[in-house]
Amino acid sequence: MLRFGPDQGPLVAVALPLFEDANRVRGFAVAICRALAARGVATILPDLPGQGESLVLLERCSILDIADGFDCATKEAWNANRRLYGVALRSGALLDKLALLNGRWHFAPQDGPSLLRDLKRIKQALQPHIRLSDTDWYFDPQTPADHPDPPVEIAGNRISTALLTDLSVYAPWTPADGGPLRIVRLDSDPAPADRHVPGAALWRRAEPGNDITLARLLADDIADWIATCER
Amino acid sequence: MISEDYDRIDATLRSTLRDVLGLSESRAAALDADTPLFGAMPELDSMAVAGLLTEIEERLGILIEDDEIDGEMLESFGALVRFVATKTRR
Repeated sequence: MLRFGPDQGPLVAVALPLFEDANRVRGFAVAICRALAARGVATILPDLPGQGESLVLLERCSILDIADGFDCATKEAWNANRRLYGVALRSGALLDKLALLNGRWHFAPQDGPSLLRDLKRIKQALQPHIRLSDTDWYFDPQTPADHPDPPVEIAGNRISTALLTDLSVYAPWTPADGGPLRIVRLDSDPAPADRHVPGAALWRRAEPGNDITLARLLADDIADWIATCER
Repeated sequence: MISEDYDRIDATLRSTLRDVLGLSESRAAALDADTPLFGAMPELDSMAVAGLLTEIEERLGILIEDDEIDGEMLESFGALVRFVATKTRR
């Protein structure tokens, strides 16, 4: 787990997106953390189950396992009565639902069904000779009924069928769920948001990239929002 | 109105191709209806198609069904604009 900023004051826990998107935006997330530290805001960037340096295999994880990992990463600060805020990038917004947070800030949140469509298209692209079925494409029909369903390999990630099923119904936190929530999106994304900002979708790039200008702009937004929440 | 829709879709698809495929501004601006895409543009491989379609869905608020995805819709920039126009008109 990476830590940035002071030992006192509000703490921001950052949730990276799931799967390959995590690699594409990790450097960008670190740039946001550094910019927040320069503004006096502390952050942690945990490796959640199945991500980064985690010893837990992704293929063993449901979405609740990963969300539970985010909760565990924040528990120490919560128990120390530190004010705690969640910052999530893309499908990271699916992972902050179990944690006790004083507020949630989401950048370009992606819901589960959209991510599942993305994964299916990638899987289909990797095996164009096989037409995937509409809904149960990630189950292997050859698996005996009394055997667990094997994980599905998609672009180097072995993903459990339980996690894929979770995605089909899972959505990010909403205002109706309670507590402060701020949503920021790119100008190119017309979905409702508290703010739209200029920048390119780093998670669509073939190679990991960074955008320091956007990272600083978002750090300003996060720091201002936390200051408002703390009043 | 239909012309305005086409202009908006054209501009959105142009910027989406630029962002997803990493095209230069000049290459994106030079796309015309006859510019061939899938099979002719080296950046647009099968994997890139997956990300491109999801990004188009987000930017235009549409849903592209799997059985609608074929070589024809990605044959040229004009074909892609026409396909997306049929989705946004529904």
